[in-house]
Amino acid sequence: MTTQSITPNTLGDAALTEPKAVRWLLSGLALTFLILFLVVPLVAVFVQALEKGVDTYWAAIIEPDALAAIRLTLIAAGVSVPLNLVFGIAAAWAITKFKFRGKAFLITLIDLPFSVSPVISGFIYVLLFGLQGWLGPWLKAHDIQLIFAVPGIVLATIFVTFPFVARELIPLMQAQGTEEEEAALVLGASGWQIFFRVTLPNVIWGVLYGVILCNARAMGEFGAVSVVSGHIRGLTNTLPLHVEILYNEYNFAAAFAVATLLALLAILTLVAKALLEKKVRHAVKSATKPIGVE
Amino acid sequence: MGIQIQNISKQFGNYTALDQIDLTVPSGELVALLGPSGSGKTTLLRIIAGLETPDTGTIHFDGEETTQRKVRERQVGFVFQHYALFRHMTVFDNIAFGMTVKPRAERPGKAQISARVHELLGLIQLDNLVDRYPAQLSGGQRQRVALARALATEPKVLLLDEPFGALDAKVRQELRRWLRKLHDEIHVTSVFVTHDQEEALEVADRVVVMNQAKVEQVGTPEEVYDRPANPFVYGFLGNVNLFHCRGNESGGQHGESTFPVDSDGVNIGYVRPGDIRILRRAESAADIAAEVIFIQGAGALPRVELRRVDNGETVHAELPREQYRQLALKIGEQVYIQPTNIRVFVPDYQI
Repeated sequence: MTTQSITPNTLGDAALTEPKAVRWLLSGLALTFLILFLVVPLVAVFVQALEKGVDTYWAAIIEPDALAAIRLTLIAAGVSVPLNLVFGIAAAWAITKFKFRGKAFLITLIDLPFSVSPVISGFIYVLLFGLQGWLGPWLKAHDIQLIFAVPGIVLATIFVTFPFVARELIPLMQAQGTEEEEAALVLGASGWQIFFRVTLPNVIWGVLYGVILCNARAMGEFGAVSVVSGHIRGLTNTLPLHVEILYNEYNFAAAFAVATLLALLAILTLVAKALLEKKVRHAVKSATKPIGVE
Repeated sequence: MGIQIQNISKQFGNYTALDQIDLTVPSGELVALLGPSGSGKTTLLRIIAGLETPDTGTIHFDGEETTQRKVRERQVGFVFQHYALFRHMTVFDNIAFGMTVKPRAERPGKAQISARVHELLGLIQLDNLVDRYPAQLSGGQRQRVALARALATEPKVLLLDEPFGALDAKVRQELRRWLRKLHDEIHVTSVFVTHDQEEALEVADRVVVMNQAKVEQVGTPEEVYDRPANPFVYGFLGNVNLFHCRGNESGGQHGESTFPVDSDGVNIGYVRPGDIRILRRAESAADIAAEVIFIQGAGALPRVELRRVDNGETVHAELPREQYRQLALKIGEQVYIQPTNIRVFVPDYQI
């Protein structure tokens, strides 16, 4: 058994090729932008962080307030990512595999956090749960503090990372259609069996991809969290807020040292994203794959 | 198991997919639902499976009502148009799926499942591909795996939606014969949907011709082909030439055949291309002068297109190779045509 390879259409390539000068110019332009706006700042972060030596760098990171910020960031991401994972899968499943009224509305609603400025979303929570807010008096009477405390930060993080998993899954599941689920149904599978044995395995790479993006945003979110946090050192400061505070105090070396953690997270996310992207694209393609060669 | 369909109707919004369908599928038969796209045949198949719910009407399996029964309890096998194989499972796991999702009490043991899968793989002649994924199979192989998967749970009814639609001509013919042979071996009541009349006539025991949400005719392939109930069935089952005939009160006349006409003295005669005789010289006054405008000599039945001299209408003829060679027709030549086996459909108002 051999697999036939398709020879690339060299004629088409030649026809689509621009003159050499144009190609160089365009590539050069793109590269310059990339270096100027992405690589240089990234390098700068690490250079600044290590400027005063490894000891200073290390001290800034293991300082108690920095550790508290790391812990809080991990908590916020640790709660919001699993919740949005479950929500995202459920929403994508409902939207792509069933017909119901108000579907278009649900899709719009999922996109809301993307279209609203994060500061506004944080502010909404303050208006709702803050002392002067609608539910403030009731919360105070029951001795529950949401705003300027960890629960508020978690809530705001959940809100801004809401769309990531669902947005990633909807196009993938739409491309795959419902035929496999119908086949499983006719073969006698129950709803849960269909979900765990047919639907989920088909989108697992898409799920991971969504989780990676969701996690990066959850850890890096500044605007919404800034509004609800109150910036209490060691208590309600996440990593991005901690960086800001240090910077405002002209403690540049420490600010950049902590910032490198976020930069590393970004790099890791990009690598994971690149790896997963290939898998997801393959899954979409195989949903409409042409008949293979024997 | 026989299927009794009574008064089934289905609407999608304003669109009527099925309009009061009555149909009986006898036990053990292989039945084709044949019709153009939009005729409602796939909807009917999905209603039998339980994948759609009818607006009115009932479905009985062997006299037992199943209309309200859930899909998974109906014990039907369904082969989807694009196979719908589970893409992340091997051929083995695809075929075994129906057995592995059974409630624990009914689920066969691992060894039993494996034995059944290999038995089915033998049936579809794909023993050596057990560890492949669907993406690594050809279209014909996927189709057979889909069939084996549907048969694995020993369904009482097998339903196939355009089973050969997505395959190329050669593979389609092979699979068609293979399905017929398979059905003769296992005798499960089967219904398949097709828009290809050749496929329906070749494979099915019984053909149900559908059009615009209604059943036009039910019969054996010979019945529907030789004695079509109406112009639609006639036209759908093969190519047609139309002859507008004029007659007197005693009926229309064309050559030696007489047939009834409507009140205006007009009727339409339907003639298959194979029933058009081409003559070098006129034999009677009824023969029609025509000019040869196109010849397609390749294939089992050479086709000739002619233009009538009297009214300019085009007539299609097919003739046996032997005769084609003897006639040695050329484009632009004038010949005579003689329609035989003229078929006329009597309008409703007649007694």
